[in-house]
Amino acid sequence: MIKSFAYVRPTSVDDALEMLGADGARVHAGGTDLMGCLRDGVFEAERVVSLRDVPGMRGVRASTQGVTIGALTPLAEIARHSVIGEQYTALARAASVVGTPQLRSQGTLGGNICQRPRCPYFRAGFDCRRKGGRICYAVGGDNHGHAIFGGVRCHMVHPSDTAAALTALDATVVAVGRAGERRIPIGDFFVAPSVDPTRETVLEHGEMVKEIVLPPAADDQRSSYHKEGHRRTWDFALAGAATALRMTGGNVAEARVVFSGVAPVPWRSMAAEEALQGNTLTPEVIGRACDAAVEGAAPMRHNAYKVGLLKGVLEKEMLRYV
Amino acid sequence: MIRDAEGRYWEEGQEVFETPQAAPDPKPWSETRVVGTRRMRVDAYERVSGTAEYPSDLLLPGMLYGAVLRSPHPHARVLSVDATAAEALPGVRAVISGFTPLNAALRPHEQLIRETLFGPVRRFEGEAIAAVAADTPYHAHDALRALKVEYEVRPFVSDERDALAEGAPLVHEEGNRVGDASTYARGDVAAGFAEADVVLEEEYRTECQIHVPMETHGCVASWDGDTLTVWESTQGVFPVQAGVARGLGMPLSRVRVIGKYMGGGFGSKLSMGDYTLMAALLAKVSARPVKLFITREETLLSAGNRPPSNTRIKAGVKRDGTLTALDLSATGTGGAYRAGGTGGLDFLVRELYRCSNVRTETQDIYVNAGPARAMRAPGYPQAAWALEQMMDALAEAIEMDPVALRLKNISLVSQVRGRPYTTTGLEACIRDGAEAFGWEAAKARAEATRDAPVRRGVGVAAAMWGAGGGGPPATVILKLFSDGSLNLNLGASDIGTGTKTIMAMVVAEELWVDPDTIQIEHADTGTTQYATASGGSKTVPTESPAVRAAALDLKKQVLEIAAAQLGVDVATLALREGKVVTTSGPSQEVPLARLNDLRRRGVVVGVGYRGPNPEGKMVNPFAAHFCEVEVDTRTGRVELVRFLAAQDSGRVMNRTTYDNQVHGGVTMGVGFGMTEKRVLDRGQTGRLVGHGWTDYRIPTAMDVPTSLEVLPIDLGDREANSTGAKGLGEPATIATAPAIANAVHHALGVRITATPITPAAVLEALAAQRQESTR
Amino acid sequence: MSSSKEPPRGDGLSVSRRGFLTSMGLGAVGVALPEITPATGPEIVPAGDVTRIALRINGRTHPALVEPRWSLLHVLRAEVGLTAAKEGCGRGECGACTVLVDDQPRYACLTLAVEAEGAEITTAEGLMEGEELGPTQQAFAETDAFQCGYCTPGQVMATEALLRANPHPSPEDIRGGVSGNLCRCGAYENIFRAVERAAELRSGGAS
Repeated sequence: MIKSFAYVRPTSVDDALEMLGADGARVHAGGTDLMGCLRDGVFEAERVVSLRDVPGMRGVRASTQGVTIGALTPLAEIARHSVIGEQYTALARAASVVGTPQLRSQGTLGGNICQRPRCPYFRAGFDCRRKGGRICYAVGGDNHGHAIFGGVRCHMVHPSDTAAALTALDATVVAVGRAGERRIPIGDFFVAPSVDPTRETVLEHGEMVKEIVLPPAADDQRSSYHKEGHRRTWDFALAGAATALRMTGGNVAEARVVFSGVAPVPWRSMAAEEALQGNTLTPEVIGRACDAAVEGAAPMRHNAYKVGLLKGVLEKEMLRYV
Repeated sequence: MIRDAEGRYWEEGQEVFETPQAAPDPKPWSETRVVGTRRMRVDAYERVSGTAEYPSDLLLPGMLYGAVLRSPHPHARVLSVDATAAEALPGVRAVISGFTPLNAALRPHEQLIRETLFGPVRRFEGEAIAAVAADTPYHAHDALRALKVEYEVRPFVSDERDALAEGAPLVHEEGNRVGDASTYARGDVAAGFAEADVVLEEEYRTECQIHVPMETHGCVASWDGDTLTVWESTQGVFPVQAGVARGLGMPLSRVRVIGKYMGGGFGSKLSMGDYTLMAALLAKVSARPVKLFITREETLLSAGNRPPSNTRIKAGVKRDGTLTALDLSATGTGGAYRAGGTGGLDFLVRELYRCSNVRTETQDIYVNAGPARAMRAPGYPQAAWALEQMMDALAEAIEMDPVALRLKNISLVSQVRGRPYTTTGLEACIRDGAEAFGWEAAKARAEATRDAPVRRGVGVAAAMWGAGGGGPPATVILKLFSDGSLNLNLGASDIGTGTKTIMAMVVAEELWVDPDTIQIEHADTGTTQYATASGGSKTVPTESPAVRAAALDLKKQVLEIAAAQLGVDVATLALREGKVVTTSGPSQEVPLARLNDLRRRGVVVGVGYRGPNPEGKMVNPFAAHFCEVEVDTRTGRVELVRFLAAQDSGRVMNRTTYDNQVHGGVTMGVGFGMTEKRVLDRGQTGRLVGHGWTDYRIPTAMDVPTSLEVLPIDLGDREANSTGAKGLGEPATIATAPAIANAVHHALGVRITATPITPAAVLEALAAQRQESTR
Repeated sequence: MSSSKEPPRGDGLSVSRRGFLTSMGLGAVGVALPEITPATGPEIVPAGDVTRIALRINGRTHPALVEPRWSLLHVLRAEVGLTAAKEGCGRGECGACTVLVDDQPRYACLTLAVEAEGAEITTAEGLMEGEELGPTQQAFAETDAFQCGYCTPGQVMATEALLRANPHPSPEDIRGGVSGNLCRCGAYENIFRAVERAAELRSGGAS
């Protein structure tokens, strides 16, 4: 049961930023993650700044310059949007496998990429390193769901499906703060724990995501996303793969391969991309890409299966392109 | 139910008391009109419209909301509780703890408060420290956060596999063993193994499963002078009444417990909880009604569970499939207190298959974790997980079909109790189930996928339930109003299994009335007759004969009234569609509403009691589950393609709710076998990892079998009781998980011996298999 | 939206100064008109204070004094007295509290009441046609799509949302449509039948 907070519902971006500047201010987009975090005491909010009535932050705009998605656009809307479905399939698929119908109609794209980690130690009141403590409990505890890549100091996995898809699609995050607007390539948006284990994004206090921009999709670009969880639905990824390929004459001209559920940030695999690029998608090439994808994996006591799982997910995804 | 030499009845070590019999029980019906059909529930409207009032829905004027502060440590001594700041918060009306002052209202309950509810030593995370009542749940939780508690944190042990090690922290001073091991033996196990052609030995583990009913545990408590009314989410209002009366030192007549609707229990709501007494005390001290429902997080810590189990089975079999010896040793844990951590764990090994040489040993262990409560067939799913996988392994070892091996070892006699069963559906469940499932064809289909990345497999597992026969006591009252409509008054709870509907069907069967015209008054200690809690798969076999007896008692009186009015012999009369009619002699009839004596009296009352179970016989339900899976070897994903549950629960009373119950049992078995696992932070903090349904995963709509078929096996039990029904809820969940495990083994050739069968478990098993083959 | 200092108590409700919505007292028409935001910037409801809002629930306007932290579920159940939506977890992890917010399915426990201001909220009570069951509810009754029934109003609302958006769902759509609603009794098989039946009834199919 959550603690008291002050509440304000600004009606402009400027007012919202003003309100967000206060100490202890937290932004309310869809609220699905915020409410959970407040209930679990992951963080506290002295003031909740609702973006509900801020105009211009919702909806999908398509143009020759690509597609711009307002940060407040509900995931359900993205999942069923025809342009996104056709040209940015990975994002539509990722949005469609987040949580449940209810969570998708309430949760927003901006909120989905900014959500806090789902590591159960982090969520369940353990004073872990991501909360400023001295221990990552996953190291000596149950780490079946944790990272096999990039686990330094903190071994959580990034919980967002859409973050992986947006990374594969080379999106740009447009953030606004009182200092103005900045455009952040998605590859620079997420913060690895090796840099700072207490934050997941480069957003500063008082800053918020305003929109996400997808570059124009090449005619020959196809993309996809698939994840595997414990259950068939309503689960965060144990391993997922967002892929975007440009195919010319049966050859892979360009590939982007980004994994979810295996690292503290959406995990781009250059090695897998290299194994695919310039080649025809034969079983051998796919096999080499899968092997390359898990090179350097550093499983913990309970999550070695993720190495095989990741390969399995990538293999099945690659077969979609054949 | 067992009858001893003195004519006393015993169930699971507890004496049960027989209710008087007005007349000897009639034989079960040979033909029925209503019973056995598909019938919509009598309370369907209330449940789908939202008008059904669950205890947690209740709103009373001036009602406060209670909340409980629980220990964050697996083991600690509470040194002090300072409520000064909490009591000063707006909206906070009462704080009770082992350390806060007690006023006149609470002083009589000092021992209960200081020692029982909020005792100084807390032995599991989630054990209560204090309770508060406030204007809203939000204010109540503000108060909890403002309580200042000093702890002396103590060493703990959270896992029973660590608890018997030398130097392990002690949960109780007397040690971590809960008494001596329980043992059982018959025949000569060593000789049995000596005569076996194949002897196998394997260890199995099942993880802790938590009930997590959709409605959490709790009640609304309200005082009117020295009378307490409790609306509790419970499986049995009478056990709650007894518990509250005992706890607060009150006569039963001053405690009324009402629990008409309830949002699931699965064994965790068989009796009152600490929350019940806390709500009553908070209501007493604040002089306001108090609603206290624990949070979802608290249910994971403190409202019971199916304990984890560790089972080793050694089994011997001859080439022809004859079992020669079974040897089981198992450990389990009921948590921090005596809670039956190994209860039921060895029963199936002793009883399910014919075997002359059996030895079992089970050891219950204390750990610093929430106590177990009975959970849907306590012990049995754990036992079936081990035994039924072992049967599968034996079949493979002697190259015999697993269905055939089981059919080879059917017993018509309860080997533990030395008495025949009234009916033994085990053979029919396995044989007819296999045929309906298309076992042979499915097996062949699976064999054809051996080299594919997605492989098929089929599995079977059988089960029985050691209770499920029901028995006395049960008292039921049936009232006939002057217009011919009826009121059925029974104390039992309908926990979602369709009890009310089935009882109305029984009345309709005997009295030839429309079940929808029967008003049902139930589950209220103030207005209904004593009934035991709805659990143990005994509600229908317990209550339905009593309801039938009440209907017959009523019918007898009505026919006598009519005979006098019509001037005919009562033996010539029968009830037909709201009328009394002659069945021989000159044709005469009189509608019930025209019975003069009934109109004068306004009511005729029939009373029915549950008669005793047959002497020298056992009444048990049986089952066999069949499963076809598709396993993706790349992702470890197991799809439940097809499932068939063959159940011998005696007479099918209402096919609609029968099927539904079995669906539910299978679904809970899927959770037990594939998704559910309580994770405690073993070796670090001992605390629960993950506080909600995101981390404690129960099956969703996407996780149940794509096709799920129910095959009732009704052998026409003429002896069990006067309706011929046996219990269903528990036998429907026991065999599910091992059937899945056996199917996965058939698909992959690897055996997953620990629940849950997650993608990770499958991939790990496949990796181990590859390593083995390259060695 | 406005605030006042007193906590909400059963023994003397505090009175608000002003409302975001001035719909209270508009009677049967119940049209909600947003008040013009003052030029001085948005008003902050301080922590612990209550604010007066008006919720549109099942076609009617309900004024309520709420704290910002109160969930829509709490307000529906404890303040408005509509108890069909159930609390199963309070964490957005079960679906028993599912309601429609502007025709979209939402977890009322994860929705702040203040955030639902101005939206059309539909609960299971709102599907009733007088004392008669609505078609989705009727379908659940006919197909025995529940056991204890506690998750049922939420399942009904998830189904209602699915069918409003997709009147002829495929079996996959049906499973997906109710995949955000747990049923611990395990009545899913019949819930699937209920959704099929509800689709029939809603399209005027045989009853």
